[in-house]
Amino acid sequence: MSEVIVVTSGKGGVGKTTSSANVGTGLAKLDQKVVLIDTDIGLRNLDVVMGLENRIVYNLVDVVEGNCRIKQALIKDKRYPNLYLLPSAQTRDKTSVTPEQMKKLTDELREEFDYIILDCPAGIEQGFKNAIAGADRALIVTTPEVSAIRDADRIIGLLEANSMKKIDLIVNRLRPDMVKRGDMMSIDDVVDILAINLIGAVPDDEAIVISTNQGEPLVGSDTLAGKAYMNICHRILGEEVPLMDFSTENGLFAKIANLFKKN
Amino acid sequence: MSNNSVVIKSNKYGIVVRLDETTPYEELLEEIAKKFKESEKFFKDAKMVLSFEGRKLTQEEEQDILDVISQNSKIHIVCIIDEDEKREERFKKTLEDKLSDINSRDGQFYKGTLRSGQVLEAETSLVVLGDVNPGAKVISKGNVIILGALKGNVYAGASGNTSSFVVALEMNPVQIRIGDVIARSSDETKKNFDNEPKISYVEDGNIYIEPITKSVLNDINL
Repeated sequence: MSEVIVVTSGKGGVGKTTSSANVGTGLAKLDQKVVLIDTDIGLRNLDVVMGLENRIVYNLVDVVEGNCRIKQALIKDKRYPNLYLLPSAQTRDKTSVTPEQMKKLTDELREEFDYIILDCPAGIEQGFKNAIAGADRALIVTTPEVSAIRDADRIIGLLEANSMKKIDLIVNRLRPDMVKRGDMMSIDDVVDILAINLIGAVPDDEAIVISTNQGEPLVGSDTLAGKAYMNICHRILGEEVPLMDFSTENGLFAKIANLFKKN
Repeated sequence: MSNNSVVIKSNKYGIVVRLDETTPYEELLEEIAKKFKESEKFFKDAKMVLSFEGRKLTQEEEQDILDVISQNSKIHIVCIIDEDEKREERFKKTLEDKLSDINSRDGQFYKGTLRSGQVLEAETSLVVLGDVNPGAKVISKGNVIILGALKGNVYAGASGNTSSFVVALEMNPVQIRIGDVIARSSDETKKNFDNEPKISYVEDGNIYIEPITKSVLNDINL
């Protein structure tokens, strides 16, 4: 049975696109047939993060307007044959698509794919309404900052009002050292405010910046963020994976990783 | 045959019954029964204030007429008032006072977390089973009781009743308003909150927030 998942946050710049790319790629790594849809019409960048910008011919608006068939617009990933991207249009805006059209599109894609991941734009306007229209499930991305949490709370309220069946939380850009010093909200503090199920936490990691710039999602790699995203993918598939302990010193993780490399 | 010994006039808040002075009392009662029966569908179960015109009535007679009205229609007569020029205004005030009185003693439950942007509004008192997050708002004409954390805005006694109160298990509101008195949270960021259940109420035009104790509860008037 296929599932349509929207990745959303309300606030911009908290890691929706990065999370979409990594969750999509991770699920493909776990042998799921996945399509990533960039719904941020006019400000597309999921293709850049995936390193597939040079392959774009048709886009989401072309599909909706009937200029091409869905198959023509889907870009096959260069690393995983069971991963596809439906890019957004850069020259149009959010009003080019309606929620009804998005629902029809996701319903058609359900027949082909196990997971349909929608990268939602920031805000609560048309773009957001389009992105959530066909979704069964939402991943809320937030950072441990009051402004991001406030927006996430608003988004959760809107999703609940739209009777979203399942809403899970990703706490992104966590700095364990700052939490320890009491300068940053902990995962528990965030979950306490938002009162929804936590599906994973991703530490603030330089490797993310590098991977984004290179167009190579780091999910499943040796980095802390790579492991955290892989754990989230396992949890999406319904597996029970304990939460990573970030408070462990980085050195120890590196040591363990090195140990495996030698073997 | 048209009989004008009884005339019913109504405004938004009440009914004026004009009674002919010369008609015998028994006949009048029959006519009242008939008139109210006819207009039963029009008034339905409206809550109204009643007033008489044109004839002096004793208390027993008023009671008789009330009985006749309740037997022949579904109107709830909230109270009876004397004839007056500014009748409609007084009707309105009396009805609203009566209703807000009833409302602050009546309550509704809401289960769930109120999130940023959500507004919960009620004519009666409210019991929220969940948190009120920053950016969310609870408005009630009566009292507000939050079995959770109050971190947003709350407005109790929204019809102007400053004897309303607000209770929360974790009292940390952005803004609190009771009747026409407003208080906001302090500008200093507190790091450690004592998560003790607290009550807010108005005294001498100021909002006070205090832990719930027996003596505070004794001072509450419902």
